[in-house]
Parts: sequence; structure tokens; C-alpha cells
Amino acid sequence: MQTFIEVDHYQCPKGNHRMEGDAFLSKKLLPENRVIAVLSDGLGSGVKAGVLSTLTATMAITCVAGDIPIERTAQIINQTLPICSERRIRYATFTIVDIGRNKEVRVLEYDNPPYILMRGGEVVEVPKSHVRLPARYGRKNRIYVSEFVACPGDRIVVFSDGVVQSGMGTAAMPLGWGMEGVKSFLREVVGREYTLSARELAHTLVQKSLWNDALEAKDDITCGVMYFRNPRRTLVLTGPPFAPERDKELVSIFSSYKGKKIICGGTTATIVARELKKKVRVCLKNLDPEVPPPSEMEGADLVTEGILTLGKAAEFLTREVQRPVSTSSGKNAAHLLVEHLLNSDIVDFVVGTRINEAHQDPSMPMELEIRRNIVKRIAHLLEERYLKEVNIQFI
Amino acid sequence: MERSNHDRKIHVVICSGTTCYLMGAAELFGIEKALEESLASRISIEGSPCMNLCKGGSYGKAPFVKVNDTLIATATVPKVIEEIRRQAAM
Repeated sequence: MQTFIEVDHYQCPKGNHRMEGDAFLSKKLLPENRVIAVLSDGLGSGVKAGVLSTLTATMAITCVAGDIPIERTAQIINQTLPICSERRIRYATFTIVDIGRNKEVRVLEYDNPPYILMRGGEVVEVPKSHVRLPARYGRKNRIYVSEFVACPGDRIVVFSDGVVQSGMGTAAMPLGWGMEGVKSFLREVVGREYTLSARELAHTLVQKSLWNDALEAKDDITCGVMYFRNPRRTLVLTGPPFAPERDKELVSIFSSYKGKKIICGGTTATIVARELKKKVRVCLKNLDPEVPPPSEMEGADLVTEGILTLGKAAEFLTREVQRPVSTSSGKNAAHLLVEHLLNSDIVDFVVGTRINEAHQDPSMPMELEIRRNIVKRIAHLLEERYLKEVNIQFI
Repeated sequence: MERSNHDRKIHVVICSGTTCYLMGAAELFGIEKALEESLASRISIEGSPCMNLCKGGSYGKAPFVKVNDTLIATATVPKVIEEIRRQAAM
């Protein structure tokens, strides 16, 4: 089976800052099927550091995507960064992970803690060479370069020094958590749940670091994870088929699908329930005035109403917010839908194109969009912003 | 045996499909709170993913509610309460 690269990160700003001073950016270049991710730690903390690290990460991604040699990339970054008014230097770290079509990986590291490669639940040491930068870079003039070919199940874990130094000064870890502490924690967490997603692993590592710091981060804490795994697939059925004779075909797609199954649409749910002789039960807890309640049906992981829920989900995907990882109550159907989509690698939409004429009544509110358009919008967001693979089939 | 009609449950089904929800079904789910205790305890509320009544217009307009076998179109909280009272008094 084809391996999918899940890329995700989690971060927490230092102390009471509202903005992180670290940046994690990732990009998928579709024609070459290449994934580039960068973690950068800006000098200091707060907004200023955030600007430095975002600048650095953005330049690094652009340069690497353009195949500019690393020495030149470092030079471009260095010449562009503003000089810190207090410390009189220009500085931001970076770790660049560049993954090619055949899972050949190149990692370029400048002054971040070394990345960790986990293979089969163990930490693997990768030999590194280095590129020396001109003398004016001072003491920190080495960029470490390592190359390997990733195997299915591999995880590349990158993090800022806020992780390694967390807990520093406490009785339990006077010198901080340290690389060895991080490694044994990763072994333990992955050993406990072998298929833990990139998203959850990044979140778990950041939470543990924050815990080491007694819940008040002493520095920005960031972790990014790239996980080469068997893709998690999700099917979303939405809308009744244009020709009612094809109802059975729709239901057979649903029954034979291997992966999570979601139905978005009252009529669609009724069709599936009728054919499979199941009962659909609407959940009357946590009613939301804008989003109709989700339902339960045996064999489906989630059943929701169609257009309004999809519209709201598109809105959530557009707003880039730190997404909560744990499931809690008080979520409406659109939240649940987004959670499922973000936890998948491949999303297969099957869109029925029959129009409900009641929705075309001009006295109906504006929210009633055409299903095809909303699905297209969601698909675009999932591909571009969340690096998912999306397929759409009309029926 | 003296088992009066007053013990009989009144079953309320509220459609929560797209059209019904847009046209005010969300409000109808709160109907229990608008009823006095003696009546509230006699009703059971259920949602339907879609009752398939909004298409074609032959049943009237959304939102749709069923109180036992009686269908209410363009349902509002007062209209549904009125029907519940009518059936409770039977």
C-alpha cells in the first residue's frame, strides 16, 4: 500500500505571551509529490521572535522548494533577518525536512536540538555531515546535513529547545529534560500506541514539556512530527444520487468501503438506513441553533445534516485556529465532522447531485449553497492547508 | 381497569433536516420547557434526520412536526403546544 506522510505540529508560547516565538510551516509540492517542513526558533520570545521565525521558515521553504543550495539559503536568511536591537545580532534557528517522491529524506539543521528518527518504536541514529558557513557566522557556523530513505512507520520528530530545556532548575531535572529524556519519552509513548498520529504525538510531547515546566512554559515549546504511515481513509457520502435508481449503488459504496464512514445529509442518511434496514437516531444533546444535531446509525462513524453542517465545517477549516485534540462535550456536528476529516489522510467524497427544490425557494436564507460548491471548497482547504489527499466522485 | 387516556404518551417527532432547521426547527426542540410539568412529563421528543416532506410543497412548508399521527406544517412552538393540548384532552 502507498505510504502517506502525515505532517502536523503543536506549540505553546512562553509564559504569558500570546504569540509563539517559534514557527512550524509545511508545504506539499503536488507535481513532484514533495513535502517540505521547517521548524524555526526566533531570537527571544513573543511577537518579535515570532516574526523572525516566521520569516526564516518561509524563506527556508521557498529556497528549498527552488532547489537553492543550503549555503546560499543560509546566506539569504541571514542577510534578510533584522538585527535585534537589544542583542545586536541577527539570529534564528532552523530545521528543514525535505521529503521527495520516493520518500528520500534530507534534513538540514541549524542550531535547533537534533531531530529524532523513530523506526519500529526505536530511536535510530542517522549519520550527519556538515556544511561550514563563513567565519562571520561566529561560533555557530555549521549546518548539519543528513540523508536517508524513510520506511513505512517512520516518524521524524523535530522540536525547539523549549522541549529539551523544559523542567530546568526543578529538583527532578536540574539540567532540564535533555535529549535522553525526550528520547525515552518518545519510545514509551509510541510503544504504548504504535499508530499514534503525528498530530497526537506532537501534542503529547508539548504537553509533557509544559508539565515539566510546572504548566508555565519557560520558553516557546514547539514540536512538529512527520509520520510515514498507511493512509487513514474516510468516506463522506453527501446528497442523494441524481437518478433514484442509483440509490443502491450509493449504498454499496458505503457498505464496501474500508475506513471511516460519514454521511452528511438527512435524505442521504434515510436512503442508506432504508436500504440497510438500520435505524437513524438523532442525538438531542448539545443542540446548536445554527447546526442541526448529529445522528447515530449502526455502521456509520458519524451522521449529520448536509448543507448547513458542511458550510460550517468549511468555515472552521478556513479559520486557522489551534485545533483541540481531545474530544470534549459541547461540540456540534460540524466540529465532529472537522475532527474526523483532520484525523484522516485520504478523504473520499461521494456527492449526490439531486437538487432539493425546497432549497431553491427564493424566500429561503442565503446559507443554502449548492452542495457541489461547498464540497469543492472543503476539498481545496483539506488539500492546500492540511496536506490531505482528496477524491471527489459525483453520483 | 381504570386506565385513562391521560396516561398515554404523546410522541412528538421534529424534523431536523436542512430546510426545517433553517426555518426554525432548532427552536422547536425546546418545546418541553415551554410546557407545564404535567404535560411535559407526558410527551416524548424525537428528532428525524429528514421526514422528506419539504419537497414538492404538497404537505405545506417547513418546519414539519408530527404529534402522534397529526402532521403540522410551518410549525411554531405555540402551534405544536396547541396540538399537544388538544390530544392530551382527548
